[in-house]
Amino acid sequence: MNELIPLMVIIPIIAALLISAFSKFNTISKILAFVVAICLPVIAIASNYGLHYFGGYEPILDNVTGITYHPAIVYSFTFLQQIFIAATGLLAFLVIFIYLAKYRKVSGPYLFLLFMGTASVTAMLLTDDIFHLFVFFEILALAQVGIVAASSIDYSYEMALKYMILGSIGSPIMLLGIGFLLALTGSVNITDIVYAVHNGLVDSKSPVFLISLGLIFFGWLYASGLPPFHTIKSGIYSKAEPHGAALLQSFTVISMISIVLIMFRIYSSLQIFEVLIVFFSILAMILGVSLALTQTDFRRMIGFLAVGELGFIGLGIGLGTQFSITAGLFQALNEIIITALLFIGFGAIVNATNEVDTRKLGGLLFYHPKVALMLLIGGLAMAGVPPLSGFQSKLMLVQASLNCGYPEISILAIMVSIATFVVFVKTYYSIFLKPKPKDLDVENKQVPKTMIFAMAILLIIVVLFGVYPDVVTNGISNFVGGIL
Amino acid sequence: MKLYDQIFNVVKQFKKLFSPGPVTNADVSGSITAEIFIIVSLVLSTILLRHVNVLLAALVALIVAIVLISNIPLIPKFKLEQEDSLEKMIFYAIVTLSIIIVFLYWGGNLV
Repeated sequence: MNELIPLMVIIPIIAALLISAFSKFNTISKILAFVVAICLPVIAIASNYGLHYFGGYEPILDNVTGITYHPAIVYSFTFLQQIFIAATGLLAFLVIFIYLAKYRKVSGPYLFLLFMGTASVTAMLLTDDIFHLFVFFEILALAQVGIVAASSIDYSYEMALKYMILGSIGSPIMLLGIGFLLALTGSVNITDIVYAVHNGLVDSKSPVFLISLGLIFFGWLYASGLPPFHTIKSGIYSKAEPHGAALLQSFTVISMISIVLIMFRIYSSLQIFEVLIVFFSILAMILGVSLALTQTDFRRMIGFLAVGELGFIGLGIGLGTQFSITAGLFQALNEIIITALLFIGFGAIVNATNEVDTRKLGGLLFYHPKVALMLLIGGLAMAGVPPLSGFQSKLMLVQASLNCGYPEISILAIMVSIATFVVFVKTYYSIFLKPKPKDLDVENKQVPKTMIFAMAILLIIVVLFGVYPDVVTNGISNFVGGIL
Repeated sequence: MKLYDQIFNVVKQFKKLFSPGPVTNADVSGSITAEIFIIVSLVLSTILLRHVNVLLAALVALIVAIVLISNIPLIPKFKLEQEDSLEKMIFYAIVTLSIIIVFLYWGGNLV
């Protein structure tokens, strides 16, 4: 038993409730939010690997059948959970730090949503219980709606409402799929379900089992923002505050990998599962990048690029080998960091100019050289330029698809990277390099130092993972070896 | 010359894509890149069908290439279909769900 494991979920939930309850006391709320935000990555790093059985209910061995059952919720904490929870915790800290510094009077409900979202993705990563995962999936969806609705950007309410309505389709469908699995196996514990499926206790060719895959897969598409949900996903990124969007995209990536890893454990015996993942990943890459190329709102452009990058993660997992899944998960980690860097950096530009249309911007290199430099490196990392982190994960994905005998996918991945580079260069030129329009007012507006600080931290990680990818890939590879 | 005229018309149609507001060189070049990217990537994706049947892959790639090239500009159509309209989002969500379920129920054991 490791008592620190549940605290990764419990502490942000308690902080969310306390801050919301005592939001009238501004200073106390600020201090509490700051202290808890620092604790989020620290707990993940300090905790030992292991399992936590809620209520102390350890697995029960059935002496007649020889099968082990898990009577209560189990949290599993390995290197994979550690690195992703630490990354999300660090990002949550940076986002909350930016928020606290930006507003003199903080909003308790907004901080509540940020902490609840962070707690939800942490629980989704840790849990070995599929119904527990669904509960936090729902809480996360509501937190995301709230974060978008709480922003001061035009039409944010409308976009949040649309996301909620689409969620009212995606979530019950996923729950129905979980219900089918429960009916087939009599358990919601994922290890028990996997045992039942892989030991012939469940007919993996039965229509009910196949339909459960279809329904859960559809819920996963909604959670991940893969087609047909790519439009709404990019929409909510563009209508959230920039720091909020940075955290939202990390929520998306974490919910994507946590659900797909569970699906992989249960359905990996079905070849169609991998076909489905590869199909939707390729579709996301093509649609995300091609739509990003036509955007004039740079927040929407980053939103579509983020969706396109999700395709790389799916591709790695869909190819189904140890190397490809490691590449996909490494890409997920890189995307969390790089996309957050871009959202915060472009958010700094919105902060300085109050303008999001690339046609009305220009000449900002002179006014904000630090932001320009850090955004340039972040954009190059996203496009997969060496020696940055994006290059390492994309190179691994290209190698993985070649190893699997799919050179078409390798070519496609390289093409998408080139198109991503084009999108970034086009936007960068429009904002920083072309002559400044006469009616653009940037003289007296400064970029907050907290944003520069956050970008610098994220940039260090991008360079570090680019130069020393083994720091994370070895641990991820060991984890993947365990589930295959 | 017909194909040249068609490509020239594509550029003219991009004006509608960026309205209201001016159309810059960067926007037009971005849209042309998107146009070429979407055609090449979709044709390339169809080649994956060679793992099912080589002849099928060649036939589908040829048909997709002809259909896509003869229907340029594609990007304004794609963008129109993927705007922020709730009706369209729900429509595509339900269509996708139906296709996944039908595909799995009747074809899940074939792949």
